[in-house]
Amino acid sequence: MLKRRHSPLQRGGFLLVCGVVLLVASNFVDELRSYQGAQVAVYLVAISSIILLTGYSGQISLGHGAIMAIGSYAAALAFTLWNFSFEFAILFGMLVGTLAGFILGVAAARLSGPYLAGTTLALAVGLPSIADQFKVLGGEQGLNFDIGDPPGWIKKFEGSDFTQYKWFFWLMAIVALFVIWAITNLLQSSYGRNWRAARNNPVAASLAGINVVRGKVLAFTVSSALASLAGALFGILLGIVTPSAFPLALSFTILTGAVLAGVGNLAGSIAGAVVLVAIPEFSGALATHLGSSQKLTANLPGLVTSLLLIFVVLFKPEGLLQKNRAKSIKQLNS
Amino acid sequence: MLVQRRTKRGLLIASMVTTVTLIVSALPASALSIYKQDGVSSTTITLGITVPLTGAAAPGYNKVPYAMQAYFNYVNDNGGVNGRKIKLVIKDDAYNPVLAKSVTNDLILKDKVFAIVGSLGTADNEATTRFVNDHGVPRLFINTGFSGFANTVKYPTTYTLLPSYVMEAKIMGQYIKDNFAGKSVAIIYQDDDFGADALKGFAISGTKFIAKIPYASGSQADPTVVGKWISGLAAAKPDVTIMFGVSSASAAALGGSYKVGFKTQWILGSVGGDGTTIATVAGPTAVGLLYGAIGTSFLPAPTDATDPYVAQFQAINQKYNGGAVFDNNVLEGMNTAMLTVEALRAAGSKLTRASLMSAIAKNGSTFASAGFSPLGYSATSHTGYNGYWFGTYGPTGALKPQGGTYTFYTTDSATGAVSKTASKRPVMPEKGLPNN
Repeated sequence: MLKRRHSPLQRGGFLLVCGVVLLVASNFVDELRSYQGAQVAVYLVAISSIILLTGYSGQISLGHGAIMAIGSYAAALAFTLWNFSFEFAILFGMLVGTLAGFILGVAAARLSGPYLAGTTLALAVGLPSIADQFKVLGGEQGLNFDIGDPPGWIKKFEGSDFTQYKWFFWLMAIVALFVIWAITNLLQSSYGRNWRAARNNPVAASLAGINVVRGKVLAFTVSSALASLAGALFGILLGIVTPSAFPLALSFTILTGAVLAGVGNLAGSIAGAVVLVAIPEFSGALATHLGSSQKLTANLPGLVTSLLLIFVVLFKPEGLLQKNRAKSIKQLNS
Repeated sequence: MLVQRRTKRGLLIASMVTTVTLIVSALPASALSIYKQDGVSSTTITLGITVPLTGAAAPGYNKVPYAMQAYFNYVNDNGGVNGRKIKLVIKDDAYNPVLAKSVTNDLILKDKVFAIVGSLGTADNEATTRFVNDHGVPRLFINTGFSGFANTVKYPTTYTLLPSYVMEAKIMGQYIKDNFAGKSVAIIYQDDDFGADALKGFAISGTKFIAKIPYASGSQADPTVVGKWISGLAAAKPDVTIMFGVSSASAAALGGSYKVGFKTQWILGSVGGDGTTIATVAGPTAVGLLYGAIGTSFLPAPTDATDPYVAQFQAINQKYNGGAVFDNNVLEGMNTAMLTVEALRAAGSKLTRASLMSAIAKNGSTFASAGFSPLGYSATSHTGYNGYWFGTYGPTGALKPQGGTYTFYTTDSATGAVSKTASKRPVMPEKGLPNN
């Protein structure tokens, strides 16, 4: 039997409750967990951008790390060079990333499959190194993006031991919850329906009056907005924005998170984000247990991520939550 | 319709999983205790270091932490520090500021180190400053000469050891004036605060360049980049070329110039002048390329077995470091470790971060070390050495002092003059075991 469909307001209310629970829970979390929680939130936003693009619009991007870099650099420049407040710096980063995404989206709409993947891959390879060419971008040393202490009113409310990482956790968890709410509403709207229709059968969608190309450009643009938002948050979390923060591996890591999640499964993005943060922890513990060298410890996370990706693609191509989804589909069909 | 309902269900699951996951991740956490003296127990002192063990800058530097560990093991086998054994947690940052930030997080939050010692790299140390400051973690004897770290307001827990790059450049500029007057000079430098500091020093010394070639850290591994350096030099035809980068960059520059037959009088900065590292990067035959080049150092030559510090460290290296090739990196690692032990001893048995920093302020200038210049630590200064000697590389790649004796030049990081001074240092403690 199908359950009643929730309105955006109801969903918002539910997420608001989740947010309050998270903020209260953060009082029982030490600094390391706060940092990891913030990392999960950033990955969640980044993975959501891939899921929206690939899972719902059917476009493949191997270069979302580059879009993150654009958002991150734009936000850091706005903050350090033009003295924007960090909130407006994030929005500025998002705006620049969205514009870049729109331009890319126009090109992407003409490409598909491996051609699109190759184009975005080239972007991920080439774009970060541009920072070395312009003094204003800080070269290899990058730009400082330390947004400072938590606001005074929070410290007044939470006490003086309210650390910067806890502040980041608050900020990024709230943003991530808002993103989930916004994406879900978008996917429930006619835009989401059009994207899915165009993904499943572009010809049929076109015959039904859906502008497939415009839909693709819009999906790429929205996805880029999310990726650049994730990039700006990532820069804040790191406190620094450098080319080395956005290697090709970052694009693959996000994509891996999306594959683990199941590229058409927004709920799975949480699992994907948690797994990405947990892998270095697990690898470090494994390496310590094995008494192995620091070199292996440094390289083990990459190996584990790759093996997990291969495993999921081979045995659980719908993502780690496959069983639940299959059950869900069965229920919906009954 | 099915897809819509799946999406709706996805929303609910996503919301619930977000909450549950983040709460569950919080459960094992213990109460926040960031300002307590982590890393000290009744039997152990845990220290941490971040260095490039992988990546373009790793050759040479990857020997430093193991040399430190070897010295600490030697001290541990001889009773430790006030009854406590020293444990060194080594983290690879690949000479990447982002990774440095991440592994420093781990050192402080996961490994709960008492202090960080010998962390390497200007950009890497800058990237971690905010976090280190926030947690009041002493950062001792960092392996960078960026003069900015002398600012005790901005870097209240950071202690430098190397003379600053400004000092080195000023001294080098004076040396060029004295020995290569009227000759044309070019420079290749790492394009970050490391290189900017050097340019500042050369500007103070009045050194004029006919060519200035910057490079991005790490790009020395790219033959195309190195090719551009050499073609730039070949076009400028300098009589003297200064290489102000890490040893892997020096190796690339020497190898590149050899390939095209470009000749100049090379002067290598102390950071990039380790013969063993250059040979490791560019191959054993590259050692020959060093022959006749000029280099600087603030420590004795690692091949100088007549130096008591070198001789003692060589013995420790043989027994505790698997007989690794004894070069500047091993010497520097052991020297840093010895200073760390002296600082820990001076802080007393009731070891706290505050007592450690207070002990360095009070007694740091008297610590015994292999460096030829006195240490500048005081209540108002966190600066270590302040000078260099010049040497010439022999056919085996070993740097030998010019004229057979260590002629030492000292200066400051401002506009003070460069002076030739007699080197003076405390006598090495018996068996290399601090007794302060």
